[in-house]
Amino acid sequence: MNDQVRYYEPYVSPLDPCPPRRVKSYITPPQLFIPFQPPNLPQFHPYEALMHGTLWPALYSPYGPQKVRQEEEGDD
Amino acid sequence: MHKMVDDAYYKQLHELQAVDFVLVELNLYLDTHPMDANAIQQYNQYAELRMRIAHQFESQYGPLMNFGHSFSSVPWAWNDTPWPWQV
Repeated sequence: MNDQVRYYEPYVSPLDPCPPRRVKSYITPPQLFIPFQPPNLPQFHPYEALMHGTLWPALYSPYGPQKVRQEEEGDD
Repeated sequence: MHKMVDDAYYKQLHELQAVDFVLVELNLYLDTHPMDANAIQQYNQYAELRMRIAHQFESQYGPLMNFGHSFSSVPWAWNDTPWPWQV
């Protein structure tokens, strides 16, 4: 499970026009927690860097298909 | 005159793309870390490597860019096929 994804339950109102989304998620990429990039961080190999979208593993934030955690089927 | 596009073409392009990406990342990093000598040395190494790769590619398959960024053979070659979206 991607550790950068966080979840929250938005308030569901009876007046909501659309079917409720009970669990929503958001991504917290590493750069939120690194105020200033330190020098000499370990690096990816160029081909891997190309595939990962960044040169430094410490800053990698996967952007894959996220299965939102569903307590019950609220995503209909 | 159709250029022969083979595996070596794609392999070299892939290598060029990877080196270019590393250069982009290092460039952005160095914008905020001007005093990082190691990164500058790595940047120069990759810039020199990029020139070699691009030169070798262009000598085989024709210019990568125009407006003076690449040499051209005769006839005028930068608008030859395959175009970038055909690669």
